[in-house]
Amino acid sequence: MTVTALVLGPILIGFALYAIPRERAAAARIVAAVVAAVTFGLAVADPHAADVSRHWLARPFDASFHLGFGPISYWIVLLLSLATFGGALALNGPRARNVAAQLLILQGAMNGVFLAKDLLLFALFWDLMLIPVFLVLIEIGPHARAAWKYLIYNLCGGLALLLATAAFGAVAGTTDVIGRANVHIMIGDVWGTWIFAGFAFAFLVKTPVFPFHTWMPETYAELPPPVVAVVSSVQSKAGLYGFLAIVLPFLGPEAARAQTLMFVLGMVALIYGALAALAERDSKRVVAYSSLSHLGLILLAVFSGSALAIQGAVVYMIAHGLFSAVLFLVLGAVEQREETRDIARLGGLGARNPKLAGVLMLAALAALGLPGLAGFSGEILILTGVFKAGFVWPAIVALVAIVLASAYMLRLFQTIMNGPEVPDLPERRDLTWTEALAIAPLVAGFVLLGVNPGRIVDVAAAAVPAASLARNSDFIQVTVEECGLVLDGVEEPGCTTLSKDDKRVRRPR
Amino acid sequence: MSAALGSYPVAADYIALLPAFIVAIVPLLLLFVDLFFRGQGAVRRGVAVAIAIVGLIVAGAMLAEQYHLPGYAAFGGAFIQGGFSIVFSEIVIVATIATLLLSVGVGRDDQVAGTTSLLLWSASGAMLMSGAANLMAVFLGLELLSLALYCLCAMSPRRTARESALKYLILSSMASGFLLYGSALLFGATGSVAFAALAKTTVTPLLALGAGLFLVGLAFKLSLVPFHAWTPDVYEGAPLPVTAFMSIATKAGTLAVLARFAYAALPLDHASAILAPLWVLAALSMLIGNLAALSQTDMKRLLAYSGIAQVGYIVTAFAGQTTLGLRYAILYLAGYMFMNLGAFAVVALMARDGDAVVGLPRFAGLAHRRPLLAAAMTFFLIGLAGLPPTIGFTGKILILTTTVSAGYAWLAGILIAGTAISAYVYFKIVRAMFAQADPKHVRDERSRTTLPWVAVAVCAVATFALGLFPLTPSNILPLVK
Repeated sequence: MTVTALVLGPILIGFALYAIPRERAAAARIVAAVVAAVTFGLAVADPHAADVSRHWLARPFDASFHLGFGPISYWIVLLLSLATFGGALALNGPRARNVAAQLLILQGAMNGVFLAKDLLLFALFWDLMLIPVFLVLIEIGPHARAAWKYLIYNLCGGLALLLATAAFGAVAGTTDVIGRANVHIMIGDVWGTWIFAGFAFAFLVKTPVFPFHTWMPETYAELPPPVVAVVSSVQSKAGLYGFLAIVLPFLGPEAARAQTLMFVLGMVALIYGALAALAERDSKRVVAYSSLSHLGLILLAVFSGSALAIQGAVVYMIAHGLFSAVLFLVLGAVEQREETRDIARLGGLGARNPKLAGVLMLAALAALGLPGLAGFSGEILILTGVFKAGFVWPAIVALVAIVLASAYMLRLFQTIMNGPEVPDLPERRDLTWTEALAIAPLVAGFVLLGVNPGRIVDVAAAAVPAASLARNSDFIQVTVEECGLVLDGVEEPGCTTLSKDDKRVRRPR
Repeated sequence: MSAALGSYPVAADYIALLPAFIVAIVPLLLLFVDLFFRGQGAVRRGVAVAIAIVGLIVAGAMLAEQYHLPGYAAFGGAFIQGGFSIVFSEIVIVATIATLLLSVGVGRDDQVAGTTSLLLWSASGAMLMSGAANLMAVFLGLELLSLALYCLCAMSPRRTARESALKYLILSSMASGFLLYGSALLFGATGSVAFAALAKTTVTPLLALGAGLFLVGLAFKLSLVPFHAWTPDVYEGAPLPVTAFMSIATKAGTLAVLARFAYAALPLDHASAILAPLWVLAALSMLIGNLAALSQTDMKRLLAYSGIAQVGYIVTAFAGQTTLGLRYAILYLAGYMFMNLGAFAVVALMARDGDAVVGLPRFAGLAHRRPLLAAAMTFFLIGLAGLPPTIGFTGKILILTTTVSAGYAWLAGILIAGTAISAYVYFKIVRAMFAQADPKHVRDERSRTTLPWVAVAVCAVATFALGLFPLTPSNILPLVK
């Protein structure tokens, strides 16, 4: 029940928001924030919620409306609720009612993506989450170009996913597989490669990763800050989640074959994103390119095949979601006050806006990986894991990019908040209490996660896809079968940890 | 059992055709009743359309009752009444009812009875085609369908209507010529007009040539690329409800013939070789239909090109001649009917008399002026573009799966490519509706009747419900007896 409410609730209420008169945007904002808070409460209150499953198709393959928490998705749902809460509270400007409605629909659709335990349902929500963002882009954005770029890129990805899902269903006979480690799916080499290519293309576009990233800076720059906070915080994780939940468990050998390619893409994204962020003057684009760099790091981790690195990837996904949402919300607040995002025109805001400056500093520090904040926990796990798995050069490249992260994050902070005050900027209001309320849970999240990442590390350990990139099967240690949530160290009954001998490794011929 | 070919038909033969007869006879009643309502504008229109809808519902109910019975042959195998023909006939009936809802406000008072009657006759032709299992019955149904449509296309005061009708007459006659020539060659090659007999013969060049010409004729009627050039012009000139009808009913009838021919009338071991060009046509339609739609600004032309591509998707499902593919083709056809008719109904609601030239600029800012209408249109366009939560999405993934399983992965890939192109076509309209518009340039019209709203509502519900619960007909076989 809980999981159904998490998906359908926001969508239905989102449509209902259109019944509120256009002028009463404040009411729509509050409703959206309350809905987000309630979804957070629901997920916290019922972490062991039972799966909901209804039969959908029997032919040509089995498919179900199957929703349920998984080890990773539970945390992403919490993250999404926080980001939506912050986004809804921070909404203002023209057409706030419509944006609030689309934000809720987006939340419901994305909850669907992460909670779907059926590939076809996953693909359905995957395509569905395009529409709200497209509508916001054309309603708000001054240029249609960004909307088209977003739509065409992501729709091509979605269609590749659809074709791959169809082929997967045709070969495997069922798509009701996500999160089922005990389902043995054997996909032959011929089909496996193509199916892998379809999934990988969809996930790489969505993340995005270097050659497919060009939609991202434009989309992030054009979207209103509250929406971009949600999109960058959670939508960009959909692809990485897809790699972890779908590609590694079912297409391990193909993933192993693509390892080098993915490493190259990840490293290029790491360095290119960092350099572009250093050169960019538009504050939102700086954060957009920094995301490109950070997500490249997660891609490295996912394809390293190291259990440790994958745990780090999960932690870093959550961490990046938290601090990138804060960054976009704070930069949105700055843009709204000063009517510009050009960091060359901004300066010295810190003197009169200590709270704003403080929050930006915290988020920037989290982004550059200061120990004690969430970014560090993820990065150190990833770097250690990648290094231990024997990939020395990728680890070094990642390290260089992390050093560059300090450079562009501090540059962002410095040019906006420090230095002499720029005289002709219109308004100097510090953080209002609504904005503070929007940002506070996210900040609390990345501070807590930084101090005590243990919980997510444990959960991530359970989620590490067994026997994934086991080309040599040297560095896979953890195999967990059909394991639910592991919260507070309490294991669910029936959750058995297999010994190393039980691993279901498909060895390539 | 029914009489063999050559002997006299018996009562059971006529009972099989009763629903089609009802649809053909109701217009006579309607024309007669219409004589008593002269000079009473709205009542006269209402009565004509009401009689027609009641007749269609009666025929539809009769068909629905027979759905669970095993199929049987009538007129010596010329007409097969079974699940297959019933599903196609129901699609034609629903499309006709929706068309009637759109056509209430269109045209002069004294013309409504005439157009309604012609629509029904045309529909009865399509119903005949859906059960036709020999070459003669196919031709009979096709001509009944087409002759009524030639007149319907011309029934508009617009000058382009006559141009449209003439174009349609000439090109459609040419298609009929191909079909007839192909039929003659098939008869010459096998000595029989029955599909069942064609399937049992050995393949000779004459048979292959006949089958090829027959398929060309069907491709013309289905407007598959490269036989599609007439479609946009004819759609543009014809009155809006007629365009809506043509986009569904003609295609449903012709697809029924194509499916029966592809599945049951060709010698099994050579069928895939004979049909291979058909998949190429489907691929071309999906690509070129969507590419050509990119630059269209008139809604009717845009929907014409979109229809070319959509038929390509449906024909794709036939690839490999799997039974599942046939079922999904029918499902997608039904879904396409709802999405497309829904879009036409929205266009009808945007013109005062339900039939104006509606171009893309008219949609500018629609979401801010008429949010409900824009929401409905967005939903239908999302469906046509193959996005969830609509039958467009579910139908496409089913077709993709069966096409991939049948070994036509390349065709599935082209379907995906076509869909990617079509996103721009459909979302162009969505964009226009949601973007800010300069109120000075916007001409807003409302149709005189609200009846098309019924069609919009029904189509929206069906598009959504079919997407979640894709019902496919299970007892469609056998196709010939």
